[in-house]
Amino acid sequence: MNTLILVIIGIVVAPLVGGLIAGLDRRITAWFQSRQGPPIMQAFYDVAKLLGKEKMVVNQWQILCAWVYLIAAAVSVALFFAQGDLLLVFFVQAVGAVFLVMGAMAAKSPYSQVGAQRELMQILAYEPVLILVFVGFFLVTGSFSIEAVWQLDQPLIAKMPLLYLALGYALTIKLRKSPFDFSTSHHGHQELVKGVLTEYSGPYLALVEIAHWYETVLVLGLCALFWSTNVAWMAVLLIGTYLLEILVDNTMARMTWRWMLKRVWLLGMGMSVVNLIWLYAG
Amino acid sequence: MSNLLLLLILLPVAAALVCYFVRSSAVRKLTVVANGAILTLASLALLGKGAFEPIAVGSFLGIGSDFLITVMDFALLGVIFFYGLKHKNLLIQGFTLAQAVLLAWFEFFVVEHAEVPALAGDQLSIIMVLVISIIGSLICIYALPYMKEHEEHLHLKTSRQPRFFFFLVLFLGAMNGLVLANNVLWLYFFFEVTTLCSFMLIGHDATEIATRNSVRALWMNSLGGLAFVIGMMLVYAKTGTLDIAAILAAGPQGALMVAGVGFICLAGFTKAAQVPFQSWLLGAMVAPTPVSALLHSSTMVKAGVYVILRFAPAFEGTFLSTGVAICGAFTFLACAALGVGQSNGKKILAYSTVANLGLIICCAGINTPLAITAAVMMILFHAISKSLLFLCVGTIEHAIGSRDLEDMRGLYAKFPRTAMITVIGILTMMLPPFGVLMAKWMAIEAGASNIYVIVMLAMGSALMMVYLSRWAGSLMASRAADAAPERQAALIRLPLMALAAAAVILSLGSPWIYNSMVAPMFNAPPFTLSFGSLDAVSGSFVVVPLFIVLGLGLLYAMKAASGFRKTRIAPPYVAGANTPADMDGTYIGPMNGPVAYAAGNMYLGELFAEGKLTPVFNSLAVALIVLMLGGAL
Repeated sequence: MNTLILVIIGIVVAPLVGGLIAGLDRRITAWFQSRQGPPIMQAFYDVAKLLGKEKMVVNQWQILCAWVYLIAAAVSVALFFAQGDLLLVFFVQAVGAVFLVMGAMAAKSPYSQVGAQRELMQILAYEPVLILVFVGFFLVTGSFSIEAVWQLDQPLIAKMPLLYLALGYALTIKLRKSPFDFSTSHHGHQELVKGVLTEYSGPYLALVEIAHWYETVLVLGLCALFWSTNVAWMAVLLIGTYLLEILVDNTMARMTWRWMLKRVWLLGMGMSVVNLIWLYAG
Repeated sequence: MSNLLLLLILLPVAAALVCYFVRSSAVRKLTVVANGAILTLASLALLGKGAFEPIAVGSFLGIGSDFLITVMDFALLGVIFFYGLKHKNLLIQGFTLAQAVLLAWFEFFVVEHAEVPALAGDQLSIIMVLVISIIGSLICIYALPYMKEHEEHLHLKTSRQPRFFFFLVLFLGAMNGLVLANNVLWLYFFFEVTTLCSFMLIGHDATEIATRNSVRALWMNSLGGLAFVIGMMLVYAKTGTLDIAAILAAGPQGALMVAGVGFICLAGFTKAAQVPFQSWLLGAMVAPTPVSALLHSSTMVKAGVYVILRFAPAFEGTFLSTGVAICGAFTFLACAALGVGQSNGKKILAYSTVANLGLIICCAGINTPLAITAAVMMILFHAISKSLLFLCVGTIEHAIGSRDLEDMRGLYAKFPRTAMITVIGILTMMLPPFGVLMAKWMAIEAGASNIYVIVMLAMGSALMMVYLSRWAGSLMASRAADAAPERQAALIRLPLMALAAAAVILSLGSPWIYNSMVAPMFNAPPFTLSFGSLDAVSGSFVVVPLFIVLGLGLLYAMKAASGFRKTRIAPPYVAGANTPADMDGTYIGPMNGPVAYAAGNMYLGELFAEGKLTPVFNSLAVALIVLMLGGAL
């Protein structure tokens, strides 16, 4: 019963929190750039506006794929709140990621096709790192289930600092922030327009946006598990991490996928492996 | 019971002979379909009876069955040697001759011919029999219309189908024999029969490249045969028995025996096309597609992983076990990486097969109940999804005349049924809640306690995801409202639909498949079952709830998508340079003329170049195998 309540809270609250974070993100980014920025609720206004637009698609796959992306993201958050298996949460999240790519590839559009290929490169970069982070959880708690994390009396970050940094790479990619945002670059004057999202429009773009909020909450939830023993420190960790993400986003240029694959595989995986060796030896 | 077993082994042999000698296509069709139906029923009957103790077969017409097997063994080696001579291949001749000499010495001077129960069936054998008999039969049925069309393409004067179906159907009998054998010598005999069948089928088209690739397959598998004989002799030297059940019950018995089992594993590696032996399976792609489907899903390569899984209790807890796990994980990573650089659909499937077999072998090496469960589940679900995908590629190839991913782009526009089934096949290979992914999940949880293994599994699984999603995405496109419906022959549609349905429905039933067929293999089964979810200390997979939630979600999404004609269909974005709607796929370029645009897939040619990586991977794999065998001693 408790699980069910948690699941419902997860499904309802996660997009609200995700949207708020998106709004705050824009405000802080604006402050970095000496602008005023939109209201904090702007993300919700945007999505509301998109939902009210006329439905327009290149073909039917985009409708299907946008919906599946949203549903898979919501289900993975629900599983996370139900204290499920970390690997399973991750695989369900991957369903959404794959369908987003398939929807973009279904359109006979050069921009969205290139964006889809780049999104695949991003998946290729963060997937192994995430799996290794989960292996770290397993080595500390003896289980892949989130339930086991809450029974720890010492925060995970003490034992897995390098894995947390590696997770930072995955977080940056997953949030599509610079230097790893080439699959959905924002700006109109650039060659890729909006990459993988080019052909999603109106209500369907709104679905993708809401799904992205779910994913933001999911990845931040993973970060939260690193300080499961104390709510205050958990909040500090999360706020610090997200502020750092915004700082990185604003101070870095966009890089190429080759640069990303090399960095993330060498540094991200390298740090993960070093940290895992401590845990195996310990 | 014994009659049922003999039916499973001998019926395909009889059907094969009918196919060969009665050269009428109607009779052939009837024989293959009837053989498939009876094999399916017989394998289900075997499932109904459950596991049984080893039993003796007795004699045929007064001649002992063991003696018959021995005679046929030497005859078979003779045939293989003949082909070695015919193709002037010294490797085949050498390996076969060495096998014959060692085997003769073993049979006549070493073995005390005590009565060994020839056949046995535990859970693993029964699952294998089901895979071979049902999936294998579906592939044979698919081959009926496929080969007719294949020969029309080739403009043959006399049909070579009798020969083709002889080996295709014979393969099923040999495989059933292999997985039911309890006498090592019987196992070896059927192992060699599959080598010969695959050689004949790969070389079927008799083109120069087909012959070359079949010869390569034969020498590599002869090497495997030689390794098997050596392994068998070493194991016998220590345990003094040919009875597999007795060997397994005894467990690891010192360096000599473990090294023997190591050689048997090496034989399994060659058969399962593990790196550095992957080239024969890649070369086997020149054969007609049903052959590829059969080799990859329910026969040949599954014989390799079966042998290793079968002998897993005999090396539990040894260095060899770790070695097998690392070799398997390395193959998983190497072939997943090689697959990324490919645009040939069949090659991608081949690399993904080898990678998944590596995963199964890795699980056999990890050798815990959880890992063995992962391996068995993987065998079952991989067989279904992979055979489906091969049959899809065959159908696509006949429809568009190419097996290249770039040519399959937008296949849905013209061949919606085939494209949809292919997408289903691809999704069942890589996404939850389907069986293959579940097995991969179990493998990752089981491999988490070995850092080498887990790093390779983590990277390999990401690489595989890339090429499978890329493929699924390429197939989709818009379809004109007035497009003609796609036509498919009934015998092509039946296997495709049956396999696609099986991939989905059996995945839904996987908790019960686990409970009734896999759990009885262990004293302490790794999972408990609750509300259609598999639970263990290490984690849980909520199969049925996920199916319900994601299934309902998909239905809703499909309903939303089905109304797409009511929404406005917009042309894709081309930076404002759109051409009129009837010139789809172009933009207005220089001189105000239409310019066609095209976006290809990224194959990461410079990172994952097959030619550059293969030698590196091969030498690393050889080093790992030497390490594995050397460390076992």
